[in-house]
Amino acid sequence: MTTDVGRSEAPGGAVGWVETRLHLGPFLNALLHVPIPRNAKTFYLGGITLFLFGIQVVTGTLLALYYSPTPDAAYESVLSITSDVSFGWLIRSVHHWAANLMILFLALHVLRIFVQAAYKYPRELTWLVGGGLLLITIGFGFTGYLLPWDQRAYWATVVGTEIAGGVPVIGPALLLLLRGGAEVSEATLGRFFGIHVLVLPLLLAGLLGLHLLFVHQQGLANPKYPEPRPGRPAPARPPERLKPFFPDYILDEVIAWYAVLAALVILASLFPAGLEPKADPLVTPEHIKPEWYFLAVYQLLKVVPETVGVVAPVALVLVIVVLPLFDRGEEVLPRRRPIAIACAVLLLVALAVLTFYGAQV
Amino acid sequence: MRTLRPFLLPALVAIGSLLVVSMAAAGTPADDSAGPSRVFEVSQATPTPEVPLETAPPLPTPIAHRGDATSTGCVDCHAKVDARQAGIADEWQASIHAREGVGCADCHGGDPTSDEITVGMAQAGGFQGVPDREDTVGLCGGCHASAERMRPYQVATDQYSKYFSSVHGQRLLVAKDDRVAICTDCHCSHGVKPASDPTAAVYPLNVPGLCASCHADASKMQPYGIPTDQFDLYELSIHGVQLLEEQDLRAPTCASCHGSHAAKPPRSDEVVDVCGSCHTATQALYEESAHSRLEGVGPKCWTCHGTHDVSEPNESLFLHEGGVPDYLCATCHSPTDQSLRLEMDRFEDPADRRCDTCHHTRSLIYSQVEAIAGAVGGARDAYDTALLRIDDAAALGMIVADADVAAQEAMTELIKARAAVHTTKLTTISALTDATVVKAGEAEALANAKLADSDFRRQAMVVVIALIALNVLVLISLRRRLHAQG
Repeated sequence: MTTDVGRSEAPGGAVGWVETRLHLGPFLNALLHVPIPRNAKTFYLGGITLFLFGIQVVTGTLLALYYSPTPDAAYESVLSITSDVSFGWLIRSVHHWAANLMILFLALHVLRIFVQAAYKYPRELTWLVGGGLLLITIGFGFTGYLLPWDQRAYWATVVGTEIAGGVPVIGPALLLLLRGGAEVSEATLGRFFGIHVLVLPLLLAGLLGLHLLFVHQQGLANPKYPEPRPGRPAPARPPERLKPFFPDYILDEVIAWYAVLAALVILASLFPAGLEPKADPLVTPEHIKPEWYFLAVYQLLKVVPETVGVVAPVALVLVIVVLPLFDRGEEVLPRRRPIAIACAVLLLVALAVLTFYGAQV
Repeated sequence: MRTLRPFLLPALVAIGSLLVVSMAAAGTPADDSAGPSRVFEVSQATPTPEVPLETAPPLPTPIAHRGDATSTGCVDCHAKVDARQAGIADEWQASIHAREGVGCADCHGGDPTSDEITVGMAQAGGFQGVPDREDTVGLCGGCHASAERMRPYQVATDQYSKYFSSVHGQRLLVAKDDRVAICTDCHCSHGVKPASDPTAAVYPLNVPGLCASCHADASKMQPYGIPTDQFDLYELSIHGVQLLEEQDLRAPTCASCHGSHAAKPPRSDEVVDVCGSCHTATQALYEESAHSRLEGVGPKCWTCHGTHDVSEPNESLFLHEGGVPDYLCATCHSPTDQSLRLEMDRFEDPADRRCDTCHHTRSLIYSQVEAIAGAVGGARDAYDTALLRIDDAAALGMIVADADVAAQEAMTELIKARAAVHTTKLTTISALTDATVVKAGEAEALANAKLADSDFRRQAMVVVIALIALNVLVLISLRRRLHAQG
């Protein structure tokens, strides 16, 4: 069933034609034919996030063909995409929902890695790069939110950039840098568009390549046993049962992608991306709410002083990113890491409560 | 003596007349008991009293004194007397008078440059103490009626003469009734603020409450026999809601219709102009109507809309629901000569403000009223139906901007049609209601297209999900075969 492109006798047809010229067989073999622990439970979360990023690249490129990043034309171009362009509503709605699902699956992926302690030796760098990917993805959400240039987009960005302006010491400079001026204006839209379609995709693609390379080099973590450390005797454990990454794991992953695609189609069809009235800097809406993934920070800012509300989430993200540097214990089973798991549960409950109250009018 | 005789009688008559006039102007007890009670007694049946005007008395000369507003002799001492006096000093210091150099001595006289009570408050030095209520108006007018004095501030200088044309001013002047509102009752004595200051009692948002502080007080209004429910009615009216709840400064306050300094209920023949000062286009339409041609006896704005309790007009104003009550002929006609007599008190109950209160079902005009009500009601129904369809489409997540625009155009036509009702001309109204129906139809068609598009999306979704499910089944079968091969 498997196609061993590394065999000495090259296959015929187009594949053989390419193989005789490029000799990609050994490279693809090294890439695909890696054994993974049979008990590795990834729940395909990282792969789904990657799939959703692919969807975003495709739909985002299509949207960019019609989108005009100026305050005069942005809203009308989005209206035209949604109302006039054939299947424009579908492309925009899929882009909208895939963005939300990407954040969701990325968060679940991070949670899975944390619970299985897969950030520990030797995968600290993979986690660190993953932290960068998380920040970039949030950056995608923040910059993309402004682009429709409707009331919700405009005022959420006004509030969001004001929150960034509350960062101690660098706040005012950061606010100016984000907005490109004192107010959310044409300059803001221009730079958000540039960052959204050029800077962040390049950054994400680079870090993603690095992330996948690390995963490939280290293989998937075994959630039951820690990796043997150099210079220490390897603990006794039963022989590891393995399964091939290709095609077994890939096949399951593709089935998961199909499920997510089905969810995207249903969400885009039943709940298409909407559009509020065009942005009006002179009319502040009664209720301004950010996207669901910023609701916890939004609510926190209501109940604590601004500096605390801004510094606490930034500090939390930094702590999470550098977690492997101070959590050096060897234990990987959750029941043997009660403090770490309790902290995570506490954090999740706090986020859920803040998000719930933030969603209330 | 013989040579004087021809002049004696005319001279006596002239002297007698002068005495009568001067007694009236001075408000003798005889005048107070007869004239004002006859002239000012206001009942619900005669809501627009005709007040005989006495012209404003001559302006007094502003008080001359030493020093100016920077002279702190008065405040230095009075701020230390007690909390009340300290409060007065604070109020004045926060006032526009303090900012513009109007000090204590400008109203109270005396010498503000001195810290000695025997000097600063010496009557010989011009100290006048607290002015009585009758003198206060003249005291304020001394500056505020002076074009020269007010020129830098670009404010009107007619408040003094207007005040004495008001019911308040006339009572003060003719009846010597000092319970009526004077300048300081509305503007404060010491804490005078400009009307543009939101904390001022005369700021538009605060005006209804200010007027109600006296006019909603039954004990204060009892001597005058006038109702005290105006604020309660106004508060619930469309004007009151717009002003007090929505904080919309375009909405009328009491002063917008009654005047502020010249406060007086508008006369029946003034009402159309008073309402028309804001509802300009509606007034123009009304003046084209058969109602307007009836002039004094015809229905006015208040006949259908009320006075203090103006509610948002709608189609219910045309006809009584469930049949017309048995109205007496005297509702609209004089019992003596059957002439038309539409008086305000006959339409106090909002339920009576209907076209068929006057145009009874057997009248010739009733069928025209029915046709107008049908045309406007039909247009509103068409608009409502379009809105429902747009809401349906929006609830399904469809973008309905174009349908919204068409609906707004329909609403514009409907507003014009509703306004045109004031012309009482069926053809004019029908043209506009027809335009409403057309625009509403366009909006509904656009909304229906969105709904159809939404249906298509859902059907397509089912097909795509089925294809995905098929692919997944193929992959699962492939997976099983892989596992079977080991």
